[in-house]
Amino acid sequence: MLNIVVCVKAVPEQSIANKLKIDPVTKSLPRLDIPLVMNSLDSHALEAALQFKRKSGAHITILCMGPPPAGNIVRECLALGADKGILLTDPAFAGADAFATAYTLAKAIEKNGPVDVVFCGMASSDGATEWVGPEIATFLNMPVVTMVREIVEDRGDEWTVKADYQYGYRKVRLKLPAVITVTRNLNQPKSLSFSGILKARSKEITKWDREKLDIPAERVGLKGSPTHVTEMAHLESRREVEILEGSLQEKIKRLVQILSDAGVV
Amino acid sequence: MEEKRASVVVIAEQGEDGIQPVSLQLVGKARQLADKLGSKVAAVVLGQKLTKAAEELVGAGADLVFQGDSDLLVPYQAELYTEIIVKLMVEHCPDILLIGSTFMGRELAPLVAARLETGLTAHCIDLVMNSEGILEQKIPAYGGMITIVCPKKRPQMATVANGVFPNPVLDSARSGEIVPIHVPKELPLRVQTLETVKERSEGISLESASVIVAGGAGAGDHDGWHHIAELAEVLNAGLGATRPAVDAGWTELETMIGQSGKMVSPEVYIGVGLSGELQHMVGIIGAKVMIAINNDARAPVFEQVDYGVVEDCRILVPALVQALRNTLG
Amino acid sequence: MIDFTFTEEQELFRKAAREFADTKIAPHVPTMEKTNRGWDEVVKELAGAEMFAVTIPEEYGGLGMGYVARLIALEEIARVSVATAMMYQVFGLGIEPFIRFGTEEQKRKYLPKFASGERLATVAVTEPSGGSDPKGCRTTYKKVNGTYVLNGRKCFITNAHTADAQVVLAVDEDNPDALTTFVVEKGMNGFKPTHEEHKVGMRGCNTGEIEMKNVSVAAENVIGGEGKGLKVAMAAIGDVGRGGMVGCALGLQRACLDASVKFSNERILYGKPISNLQAIQFKIAKMKIDLEAGRLLGYRAAAMQDKGERSSNEFAVAKYYATEAAQKAAKMAVDIHGGYGCMEEFPVTRYLRDSFVLGPSAGTSDVMMVIISRWALS
Repeated sequence: MLNIVVCVKAVPEQSIANKLKIDPVTKSLPRLDIPLVMNSLDSHALEAALQFKRKSGAHITILCMGPPPAGNIVRECLALGADKGILLTDPAFAGADAFATAYTLAKAIEKNGPVDVVFCGMASSDGATEWVGPEIATFLNMPVVTMVREIVEDRGDEWTVKADYQYGYRKVRLKLPAVITVTRNLNQPKSLSFSGILKARSKEITKWDREKLDIPAERVGLKGSPTHVTEMAHLESRREVEILEGSLQEKIKRLVQILSDAGVV
Repeated sequence: MEEKRASVVVIAEQGEDGIQPVSLQLVGKARQLADKLGSKVAAVVLGQKLTKAAEELVGAGADLVFQGDSDLLVPYQAELYTEIIVKLMVEHCPDILLIGSTFMGRELAPLVAARLETGLTAHCIDLVMNSEGILEQKIPAYGGMITIVCPKKRPQMATVANGVFPNPVLDSARSGEIVPIHVPKELPLRVQTLETVKERSEGISLESASVIVAGGAGAGDHDGWHHIAELAEVLNAGLGATRPAVDAGWTELETMIGQSGKMVSPEVYIGVGLSGELQHMVGIIGAKVMIAINNDARAPVFEQVDYGVVEDCRILVPALVQALRNTLG
Repeated sequence: MIDFTFTEEQELFRKAAREFADTKIAPHVPTMEKTNRGWDEVVKELAGAEMFAVTIPEEYGGLGMGYVARLIALEEIARVSVATAMMYQVFGLGIEPFIRFGTEEQKRKYLPKFASGERLATVAVTEPSGGSDPKGCRTTYKKVNGTYVLNGRKCFITNAHTADAQVVLAVDEDNPDALTTFVVEKGMNGFKPTHEEHKVGMRGCNTGEIEMKNVSVAAENVIGGEGKGLKVAMAAIGDVGRGGMVGCALGLQRACLDASVKFSNERILYGKPISNLQAIQFKIAKMKIDLEAGRLLGYRAAAMQDKGERSSNEFAVAKYYATEAAQKAAKMAVDIHGGYGCMEEFPVTRYLRDSFVLGPSAGTSDVMMVIISRWALS
């Protein structure tokens, strides 16, 4: 039976995220007070694992690095059908860039035990670097394919997938164990069900901190990040806006005029 | 080795017809950065039939072109490319390594960065050498522009999208050294690109469109999106999108304009049902006339355009399309 | 008591219910509004989402999630469609007599099919002679050779046409003090739903009349024992019925508040959004206060119910408060929308119409006041 790890990230809810400002002390994104939701691409990663489980059986572990409230996201994943959850939480992890994040996640995957496939969303809605999946693969010395849109063949330990590529896609053959980052087009995640939520009661969520992972302090969080933010600048707008007035028809008339003056019409 | 060493290296990508534009743009930028450091620019290109590619790279400002020419390198193979580049970077020790945010670049860059145990910044919209010789990598975020640095690890790596930096003028009189690099033939590959398949022709390339209509979450649903697409059609404009519209499934990722998408420089830009988030707005460079339609008067977009219309786009756009059709006859 | 937070699990219930309401129920609302039909589709969706299993114990095929979970589900569904929430709540009301007063055989026979949504239940108490006066019921039964023959009419029955099994309250023909509840099922000779109501609000929620003409009902279809009918009916209506109305009302209030916030942030007058005007702010504050209060009252009563405590008084308070508040909220929402508040494309007009139906359901506000005063004076 395949051992699958799904990496999920708890990200700030979109509408609130737009109002987020960078913490001037740690120069990282303060995540604590904002309602956290599961990164939407990660739900596609989880669904990929669940589809495999439904078809051929698998043991799915959820791995999430985040502050304590991120545990809700892990529980949600268990309610959706994953078997167990690991929350990596420690103030020392704060301020991690993609490198430190990937390193910490990779260490946790190693500690968790043998793994056949690691599914990740291709990017998070905050940050959005796309780096974590491939860097985890490097630290685990595994191959990786990014932006997977279809799993063509998944029997045995040689899988064939289609990944988004310039002007279309590329067909890739992959030997397990491997990391796969997924796009939205891969599947349609199923909704939460009441019975799934109840079944999650008996599933385990373990919490690991830096000590438990046995990683030196200088390799995690801000300390373990080769990059950091130095400053934030406000962008001045160089345009003076005119808000069109009047009735709908009047505004339309004016718009047509503007477009005509600009040479479009 | 010291004389040969280039401080700024660009991983160039070969396209269908010579080098990808973004690679040349990065070489142009690299030239600027290297000049400030008093150093050289090197480009690395892997593939086949690379003569023209090498010429273009030199013409754009590269002093050195490391060339890996082999049929094993077409199509792109992650492990082989990573192995070659990492080995070269370990030998060469550049200060800065730049890669275009192409599909290949976005996978290759983190693989190289993790192997070199260095920092990597995604989707930069500017790169500035500061007075201490450190590369300031600028990305838009959270209401402003944030500066990221990689103070200790080397090389400082960054990916940049096509269109952020200008296309350099190719100077055929420039000379540069072509250095062939060894391509390992026996590397066991655990991941292999079997083939690349084209699904669509470019269509109205957003990057070259002079009028762009971009839609966002305010479209509401497929029907709303359809109206926005109609507006683009009637104006003969490129159709772009924000991330929410792509996530909602109304349009493809390729139409996304912004920091993680395409950079565009139209004459006229019309943003429909989008809030004006920085991540999208930075994708629009130098538009002459910017118009926004949004039903929320407090949307940030209204501070970034020339003309604003506070209306529900699902009501206004169909009416506007009708009016335009009447005008155009 | 005192921890006023929901558990992680309850938050997940809410998330699941919200997603369900937004993706599976919302698309049906326009049809329900326009045609006053469409209940079969939403009932199917409710069944598919395991909604009917919520209060049914696990040993009878349910999920045994309890009444707080039920209230959460109702709140989220009502936010999108009060009509659907109303039907759902009354299905729950119909199930309750079986859970509380059913014999082992009755539970085994009916509950599993209720849980899966294969069969639907409702309660039929109200008659043209009054619902507020259940003792004045004129539907009669007569014991004849070990079976019972029922005659009469019930009106304003939610799910009259959709329910497979109806818990009907009837009075002994020969003894006006003896009331009994019977399970009357679709297909029984002489039993049929008749008139369909066209309500001003909660359109698409099936409401109608049922008629019984010499319906022969076996003894095993007596629920709760002969002569215990009032106890059965009142127990079910007293907390599950009232609790259900609280869910409908809270969901509606939330919808009114959300619509008002959205509209007032977008509507520009005097150069600014009207949410800047104190008159609007105060209306929104009133809605918020009522919603906060109603939620506390409702969840407190539901929590007591989950503990197995008597909660019908607490539910009377919550029902009174929330349904009255919902009616006020709907009117305020319409006012905030100004002229647009009269236009059918804006959902607030539906909220106003839906709010009317909240009052008389499961006991009018006046009846609630009688119960509450009794409680206070005792």
